[in-house]
Amino acid sequence: MDDREINEKVRMCIAQALGIDVEEVVPDAILFDDLGAESLDLLDIVFRLEKTFGIQIPRGGIQQNVLSSQGLKEDDLVKDGVLTPLGIEKLKMEMPEVDPAKIPEGFRAEDIPTLFTVQTFINLTKRYLKEKEVRGV
Amino acid sequence: MTGIGIDITEVKRIEDISLRHKGFLSRVYTPREIEFCAKKKNMYQHLAARFAAKESVLKALGTGWSGSIGWTDVEVVNDQWGRPEVSTHGRVKEIVKERGIKRISISLSHCRNYAVACAQIIA
Repeated sequence: MDDREINEKVRMCIAQALGIDVEEVVPDAILFDDLGAESLDLLDIVFRLEKTFGIQIPRGGIQQNVLSSQGLKEDDLVKDGVLTPLGIEKLKMEMPEVDPAKIPEGFRAEDIPTLFTVQTFINLTKRYLKEKEVRGV
Repeated sequence: MTGIGIDITEVKRIEDISLRHKGFLSRVYTPREIEFCAKKKNMYQHLAARFAAKESVLKALGTGWSGSIGWTDVEVVNDQWGRPEVSTHGRVKEIVKERGIKRISISLSHCRNYAVACAQIIA
């Protein structure tokens, strides 16, 4: 499956979950602010992506990559719900599609989903498709 | 530490997702929660209330669904009088212990269309 096909299918999954026109689902649209998504919609999108692409996205897929790094304890990245400087650095690295200015000092872990864009889900899908390929499933 | 969290969930959305996605129930709810709700005539209202409860507890804790927290880490159980109580597992249980939280109170309500939950943390 090439990148274009992946992008189209991810956009379609998001459009169907939110009940909106696929034309609105542009890569830099923010799920909550621009497309009106709610937390349950994120779960719906994840299930649709899993079914469409035959992948398995763990709970908190994106956050898990950011906040459960190998060799690091969760406390090194988040303290009392607030991202540490190391956590902020890691989040910016994991989510290059997000404007770094939107992740200021004091950013709370619970607010990470407010940063999700359509591109976030495209990247997430590609990552898990790659993992699937590596595992040879 | 104290905290409060509230959430509202559309019953129809829970019903739709449950019917559309095989695995939704077992991924989000514990076997006890599924068993409890399945016995009710208005099963999806109860499932929606429990979904709202999970969200409200995480809001009260201020963690959101971050790191290694799983949906089943927050479980709603009912005491001998049928009142809902929160039971924690996994990473959420660790957080509760680390922060010296004594109790998480929960209040649920639902009608045909919506379910709401309010959680309060008492340290």
